[in-house]
Amino acid sequence: MLFNTTHFFLFLVVVLALFYASPRALRRYILLLASYYFYGSWNVRFIPLLLTLTAIDYTAGLWIERTPVGPRRKGLLILSLSANLGFLGFFKYYNFLADNLCLLIGKPPESFFWDIVLPLGISFHTFQSMSYVIDVYRGKQKAVRDPIDYALFICFFPQLVAGPIVRARDFFRDLLDWHPPTGDDVSQGLLLVFFGLTKKMAFADNFAKVANEYFGNVAAHPGWHAAWSGVIAFGMQIYFDFSGYTDMAIGMAKLLGFHFPVNFRRPYLASSITDFWRRWHISLSSWLRDYLYISLGGNRKGHWMTYRNLLLTMLLGGLWHGASWNFLIWGGYHGGLLAVERAVRGDRPISDKWTWLYPLKAAVTFLLVMIGWVFFRAAGLAQSRQVLGQMFSRVNGRDLLSFWHVGLIVLALLLAVAEEKLDWFDRVARGPAWVYATALAVMFFCLELFGVMEANIPFIYFQF
Amino acid sequence: MDSTPRRSHWHRLLVACLAACVGVIALDSLLFRTGFYATILEPDSSTGLFEMILRRELNAQEHHGNRMVVTFGNSRLAWSPKVLDQRPGPHKYILRQGGIAGSDARAWYYMIRDLDPTARRYRALVFGVDDYDDEDRYFNPNDDIRALHYTIARLRLADVFQFARSFDSRELQIAALRGGLLKGIVFQNDLQAFLANPGKRLAYVRQCDRDWNTWVYDFEETTGSMAGLQIDWKTLKVTFPPGANDDQRATVNSFLAHEPEPQIGRLAAFQRTWYGRIIDRYRGSPTKIVFMRLARGPLPRPANLVHKLSSSIREMASRPNVILLDEHAFESLEQPELYRDGMHLNREGIRRFSCMLEDEVQRVLDGAGRN
Repeated sequence: MLFNTTHFFLFLVVVLALFYASPRALRRYILLLASYYFYGSWNVRFIPLLLTLTAIDYTAGLWIERTPVGPRRKGLLILSLSANLGFLGFFKYYNFLADNLCLLIGKPPESFFWDIVLPLGISFHTFQSMSYVIDVYRGKQKAVRDPIDYALFICFFPQLVAGPIVRARDFFRDLLDWHPPTGDDVSQGLLLVFFGLTKKMAFADNFAKVANEYFGNVAAHPGWHAAWSGVIAFGMQIYFDFSGYTDMAIGMAKLLGFHFPVNFRRPYLASSITDFWRRWHISLSSWLRDYLYISLGGNRKGHWMTYRNLLLTMLLGGLWHGASWNFLIWGGYHGGLLAVERAVRGDRPISDKWTWLYPLKAAVTFLLVMIGWVFFRAAGLAQSRQVLGQMFSRVNGRDLLSFWHVGLIVLALLLAVAEEKLDWFDRVARGPAWVYATALAVMFFCLELFGVMEANIPFIYFQF
Repeated sequence: MDSTPRRSHWHRLLVACLAACVGVIALDSLLFRTGFYATILEPDSSTGLFEMILRRELNAQEHHGNRMVVTFGNSRLAWSPKVLDQRPGPHKYILRQGGIAGSDARAWYYMIRDLDPTARRYRALVFGVDDYDDEDRYFNPNDDIRALHYTIARLRLADVFQFARSFDSRELQIAALRGGLLKGIVFQNDLQAFLANPGKRLAYVRQCDRDWNTWVYDFEETTGSMAGLQIDWKTLKVTFPPGANDDQRATVNSFLAHEPEPQIGRLAAFQRTWYGRIIDRYRGSPTKIVFMRLARGPLPRPANLVHKLSSSIREMASRPNVILLDEHAFESLEQPELYRDGMHLNREGIRRFSCMLEDEVQRVLDGAGRN
């Protein structure tokens, strides 16, 4: 059940109606059932897995809290993390590791291959679950007593399959002290749902067609024009796709009285790679920072250890996206760039002031990020090399982006700058009804003229 | 979880959403219902061609006064204005071509409504049909989505529900309803192609508007023929002419040498509906509605292959203003030598048919044929 389908919107309307029409005591159950129905509509066979992980971490949380600080408490944490990482490792990384083992010991490539279907959203819900257990272990979060509450935290349908990765304290603050959404929440929520839908269907899916055409047959599109346009198309696709999904998730949560953290803050306006990671998939980068980078020592153990930690964190962040050398290289590329920036910048904080140099820095950052996307999107290392070779070749080739694609990019850039400077989205959401209605009408019109309707292109991050 | 959002929030949102829906229909109407966009459609698209023919015929009305007879049909109704011009005159009636390949009575109804808003601009409308008796074939005429693409620029808001209901399948009904309400959905590909290179499109539209008449006028069909085609009607085994191409084989197999379909009255209902609406528009008008049975193919299917249950076209002959040409009028064209494939006339076939058509039309309109 994709967010951009009529089926899902009917589901959402029914859930909202049932939620608000029901007495207080029933609402959690309605959300829980709706969430399991949503998950089951993808593949009902994975519900037992979700329930198992939920049960393990729910129990681990209670035990850890009851256990005094010491090796036993640590042992319980390790047990819980091992279970989470074990499931994740098996489903996501088994074949990758098996392939490489075969390569290492000289066996045929698929000697240990198993036909494993990756459970939807496993990377997201295991990270969310692990953050809860770690927070309980660190004493930052009280263990949740009610299993229904905990199950809902893990499987809440707006963010179950592709985030944002919500921290337990944020979720339970809303759940345990639930207040009906304010007028602003409702206005923002609805606007976010349609804004996200527009980003996905009118922007991302159109860029997806170009990116798929290019990456589907790189050899057929020689020259740097084709390569850069194909890569930029993918850069646009992944941003609009993922941020569109996130906007919809945050918007739906708001309509139900929950407040998810911001996950994207106009990342392509970033003035450096460090700034980029403060704007891109914020819930993952802050998770990696809080539970990995800081645990590794962060920047507390000298320059070289800081660089090492940045590199390791980003390598694992890359691997989190998928089991392939390409994701590992993508993570390493970003980790390397972060380390270089750190070395150049020293301990000075990054500046977010818009000086005359800002557009240049943003442009360079954008180009570096685009080069990174090659590894993220390419089918393998060989194709990555081929694309990079074309990007820096002297052959011109054919531009794959049409005039109107460029128009969409310019429009998005103007909206992003306006949001950065004027906070237009909130103003519209809180503005007079006619302004709100005009914004909705423009989004609907964009969907009408540019929305890709003939093919349901899945959200990219659903595969992670 | 003990209270619900205040009603005023939802009320404000509901009003804003409704206003947004009205707004998007207004924006859509501004762009696609004012007639402007129809003039810059891709001329090679279904809608673009339909609109270009409509513009051409509206323009022709200014030059030819009340002597005009317009023919409607699909690609099988092929006649040449050049052939007619080369015949010795005087030509009492000016024959015009309003049909388009792949179109049907539903598309023609919407075209005629805008082509002849007063229902008095033509001496006659001539419809070329495959048969006066109704034979259901493998396709359902109600579910031909091409009708949406041909007529989209002509559909008015008041037509939307009726038009959508004219499709049988739920999926197509929704597509037609959605497209009829928000034309941008149907024009999406065209608009995106236009935006990809507006200058090129505008230049091509101008070129087509200027030269299309000449291209059509000078077009000459192939001289190739189906000579040698044989069909064993008992076994439906076809002997193709030597060197027959895929297109020739496909048209023979789909149009002639096919097993009969179950006769359920689908075509009859379709024709009664859409020809019925056209005839209703001309009630009390001096314009005649003429039906003609086209030549049935290089080798006509024997009548005993299918037991036809009805004859919707013959039924219509009883209505005022409706004339049926002699159904045998064009049988002399039913020879493999006059066809380029299983269903379309070749150059010689078109030449003969053009002359016969003019004579027949003049004969029925005047009661006096040309010798």
